[in-house]
Amino acid sequence: MAATLKRLVPVLLAAATLTCSRGPRLVIGSKNFTESDLLAEIVAQQIERRTGIPVERRLHLGGTFVCHEAITTGAIDLYVEYTGTAFTAILKQPPIADPDSVLRFVKAAYERQFQLRWTAPLGFNNTFAILVRHADATKYGLQTITDLARVAPHWKAGFGYEFLERADGFAGLAARYGLRFSQPPTAMDLGLTSRALADGKVDVIAGNSTDGQIAALGLAQLADDRGYFPPYQAAPVIRSAVLEQYPKVAAALAELGGKISDSEMRRLNALADVEHRDIADIAREWLTNRLQ
Amino acid sequence: MNVVLDVRGLRYELQGRALVDDVSFAVGAGETLVLLGRSGAGKTTTLRLINRLITPSAGDVRIAGDDLATQDDSRLRRRIGYVIQEIGLFPHFTVAENVGLVPRLERWSSTRAEQRIRELLALVGLDPVTFGPRYPHQLSGGQRQRVGVARALANDPPLLLLDEPFGALDPVTRLELQREFRALVARLRKTLVFVTHDAREALLLGTHIGLLESGRLAFLGTTNEFRASPLPQVRQFMDSAA
Amino acid sequence: MTLLEFYRRHFDELLLLLRQHIGLVAISTAVAVLLGLPLGVLVARRPAWQKPILGMTNVVQTVPSLALFGLLIPVFGIGAWTAITALVLYALLPIVRNTYAGITGVDPAVREAGRGMGMTDGELLRLVELPLAAGVILAGVRVAVVVSVGVATIAAAIGAGGLGVYIFRGVATVDDTLILAGALPAALLALLADGLLALAERRLVWRPR
Repeated sequence: MAATLKRLVPVLLAAATLTCSRGPRLVIGSKNFTESDLLAEIVAQQIERRTGIPVERRLHLGGTFVCHEAITTGAIDLYVEYTGTAFTAILKQPPIADPDSVLRFVKAAYERQFQLRWTAPLGFNNTFAILVRHADATKYGLQTITDLARVAPHWKAGFGYEFLERADGFAGLAARYGLRFSQPPTAMDLGLTSRALADGKVDVIAGNSTDGQIAALGLAQLADDRGYFPPYQAAPVIRSAVLEQYPKVAAALAELGGKISDSEMRRLNALADVEHRDIADIAREWLTNRLQ
Repeated sequence: MNVVLDVRGLRYELQGRALVDDVSFAVGAGETLVLLGRSGAGKTTTLRLINRLITPSAGDVRIAGDDLATQDDSRLRRRIGYVIQEIGLFPHFTVAENVGLVPRLERWSSTRAEQRIRELLALVGLDPVTFGPRYPHQLSGGQRQRVGVARALANDPPLLLLDEPFGALDPVTRLELQREFRALVARLRKTLVFVTHDAREALLLGTHIGLLESGRLAFLGTTNEFRASPLPQVRQFMDSAA
Repeated sequence: MTLLEFYRRHFDELLLLLRQHIGLVAISTAVAVLLGLPLGVLVARRPAWQKPILGMTNVVQTVPSLALFGLLIPVFGIGAWTAITALVLYALLPIVRNTYAGITGVDPAVREAGRGMGMTDGELLRLVELPLAAGVILAGVRVAVVVSVGVATIAAAIGAGGLGVYIFRGVATVDDTLILAGALPAALLALLADGLLALAERRLVWRPR
């Protein structure tokens, strides 16, 4: 017994030192929906294969504000954010339409206020998708959000908590389009909204335009004809200090710039949400095929 | 003799063992049959077979000619007084409510019930005005036992079954209650089956004695016959009563 | 903005959420009592049912509340009725178990005397067992209510409303005032309910004086 213990001690010490190693390391976070997890995984694997730096994933942390809190306090080093979201929700600017202006503003403000660097946008625009059931769209001739205002008084809406709270969320949308529903919108976990819509518990929700389930669940997206929503270009946001510490990371991230189109993102989301494939596998497969 | 209780070939089996085996006896009006025996002899089991708290494996029981197997058990038991050693007064009922239980179940008018309760409490030596509103936890052991007897008599049953009713009392109170009880029973002319392991009590209260041993009747006869019997089991009990 | 300012500005909304929360707890507790009391009596009467019924309610209780909501959604969809179903399932164990304990805790001599005097099972239950078990049963209801007030905060995640709405909104926006705006009334509600039921217990339950 004593002999076994004696032999265990060096093993335990070695294990302890290994886990407490202070070698290079990056922490990547993501928001609480599939696309964010997928992008975080793609970025994480890209960094690992190009730089050899181990990456710790902290996926599905919470909403926008939770991730922003996490990166500004240094709990995470990187996450993928959307320009429009940063512009209106974090920086509290009234929405504008030009993608380049939004990106320029956000880049400058983030560097100045938070010491965070915006790297190259990934190539797609994920805007809020106001979704209704396909059958309803056909029946009531709904193609735009203006059309929605017609039927809203007889309808029920359901939204996630973040959309209800954000300046570029429900309140602004309702004001711009004159939307008045039969009762205040039902608040629920964002992930449940598509199911609630499909089941008929609510009649309109705010999803993402790159959602994988839109086609699968028989949903239709209404066009933002009054241009309420700002552009939402996805791009990795990283702490400036970290980028300076690991310059190789910049090249790895730059390689991802412009590589994912709208339809490509939708395809990847569908692989996860509709076919229920493993996120790490999807990311690995994409990186191997797309980037070599 | 007017037979009130007629028991024939009573048998009760539990897990292959016969706790009561071929027990037969008849009790006439005004008689007190004492079922005597050691612990585990089957006395309590026999008693509970009479009011069908347990069901016999064989044999039948008739009260005033009616075969009990054909009757509804609960209704039947309201016509039989039942007093157990722990008494089992309802702690959340007053003394009056306890005594008035069966009249309440039988839906007597409140006037009739109140009168009967007063009558019975006086009969067992408890002042109705003082004791009626009291709760069981406010009574002494002897007082509780008196209430138990009053409760059993409420519906004026032709037959009373008692299982060591005075067993939990101190010897002085026990003797006092035994004497009062004997006088009461004689006055009311009740028919009793009384279970005890105390030979002295048997001799004092019984008109007849049935000695149970391992579920069978070793002796059945009048008290005087018991006193004179040469059977060794009887002698053992007689010695203990000396 | 301080908590008081928040409440002043959103008073109507607070009342609405409070109403929703109380509704969820009240309905689910009532259903749980209607189901749990007879179940408890059944288990007390037939010991053979003890293991399966108590076992089942025990298992349900060990399922984490969020998981239970999640399991019910494919069957019942989102909304208040799913939440109420989950709350009923959680409230069952304390009620069934305490009913069972209360009834079997009645002095066997009292039951023997009652039966011997000719009480039917129903009369025994109504006049003796339930009144004597009332204290223990009510204690179970108290536990069920306090637990329900807490678990009902999660109902907001599945669109059932209630004070949890403030909590989830606060979590999404990293807003402590909002979180507190929901959590504080929920805690106070639990304390209030517990206090009221304790009062009821003292009034309704017989105790030797």
